[in-house]
Amino acid sequence: MHEVLTVGGYGLLTALATGLGAIPFAFVRNLSARTVAYANALAAGLMLGASLGLVAEGTAQGSWQTVSGALAGVVFMLMTQLWLRQHDVEFGHVHGVGARRMVLVLIVMTVHSFAEGVAVGVSFGGGMTLALVIVVAIAVHNVPEGLAISAVLRPRGSTVAACAGWSIVSSLPQPIMAVPAFLLVDAFRSLLPYGIGFAAGAMVFMVLVELLPEAYDQARRPAVAVLVSASLIGMVLFQQYL
Amino acid sequence: MDPTLVVLVYASIAAAMGGVGASPLLLKRPFPVAWIGWSNALAAGLMLGAAYALMVGGIERIPLSGAVGAAGGIGFVFWTHAVSGTSDLALNRLDETSPEYGYRVLLVSTLHSAAEGVAIGAAMAVSLPFGVFMALAIAIHNIPEGTVLSAILTARGVTVVDAAGLAVAANVSQVLLAIVSFALIAAAPDLLPWALGFAVGALVCLVLIELLPECYRQAGSTSIALVTIAAMGIVVLLLGGGT
Repeated sequence: MHEVLTVGGYGLLTALATGLGAIPFAFVRNLSARTVAYANALAAGLMLGASLGLVAEGTAQGSWQTVSGALAGVVFMLMTQLWLRQHDVEFGHVHGVGARRMVLVLIVMTVHSFAEGVAVGVSFGGGMTLALVIVVAIAVHNVPEGLAISAVLRPRGSTVAACAGWSIVSSLPQPIMAVPAFLLVDAFRSLLPYGIGFAAGAMVFMVLVELLPEAYDQARRPAVAVLVSASLIGMVLFQQYL
Repeated sequence: MDPTLVVLVYASIAAAMGGVGASPLLLKRPFPVAWIGWSNALAAGLMLGAAYALMVGGIERIPLSGAVGAAGGIGFVFWTHAVSGTSDLALNRLDETSPEYGYRVLLVSTLHSAAEGVAIGAAMAVSLPFGVFMALAIAIHNIPEGTVLSAILTARGVTVVDAAGLAVAANVSQVLLAIVSFALIAAAPDLLPWALGFAVGALVCLVLIELLPECYRQAGSTSIALVTIAAMGIVVLLLGGGT
């Protein structure tokens, strides 16, 4: 029981770290169309980088499982998108396309946290010795994910506090999934590549369908390209070193 | 066989595939715009897959020199677009027939291929099987790329055969850079992480500055995403895990 509480508690701490990603947006006052485009490009790069990292992790345990998981992730996103188009979604005071993007990014990042939570639980299952190292790594790794969420929410009118709050909410599946994955390591370990693939597929789809087209519409092509490439590579390095 | 000769052979095969890309134009002229979009998306997905392969298959852990190399690759693409005056140029216009536009499009293709040459050369320096894998990925990527270039050229009145020749010619820089970067790394192995980083940065940036912005004007974003992801998935599957 004690160990379960530890895993859950550590998982919660990592979720709270996601909220830190909203902080840079406390300094962004100007919310012009170009700011939205640059924020989209930033989120796109971070999410693409995170996906490539996930795919590398997943294929190490099984390529077919990872790719079929990714296929399911894409299908899930297609259906979610279809559903959101048929309903008039509202997010805060935002309606229409903007609200749809906000809801979609939250769904994508929340779904992705499920897979991450399983990864946390499974890695704890290998023994509690490296626990603190893993917790710090996951917590630090969550910060740019909060940044990606805030980059989509903030320019469309959410307050910084709301950005931080939603970022934390999107990471709550981590502690929720970490506990069962820790208790049933063997069962969850075989599911992990599917979950990782699912998260990566959903994120790449979100980037290609929603974030990039809008970025290209509102800002110059070279600026978008450099921003996305730099944040993608930054995210990959960040995940390797932390 | 001499390793440099191996690089020459594989890089030449990859370059020649640009000509194969012209073949769909024998069937359908004028080429539907949406098909150009999907060809671009296919090329984009294969290129992102190649960049991913370089990231995970190249070296165990990307060192700082790799990161600096990646920044250099992004900078190279940005800078060449800026000085060639193509930063804001739509690259796939079928209605623009000025000679100047034609030269610019060929110049962009040549610079694009040069970066791919570094990818092949650096991958060959990692190991022969990895280099062959990279050359194959770039070779398949060159087919839809050749299709797009040929569609633009034939819309300007160039015959399909000549367009195929030009699509291969635009890839000659790839063969050259593959051999040069392979030889340089062979002479100074410390250059490997720099070259791998450069190739990753340049490949990712090329996808974002040339291929994807054109795609979204040519076909719906959902279909573009599906084609791109499918192409990436194929590269991921072929690469496999645990490298």
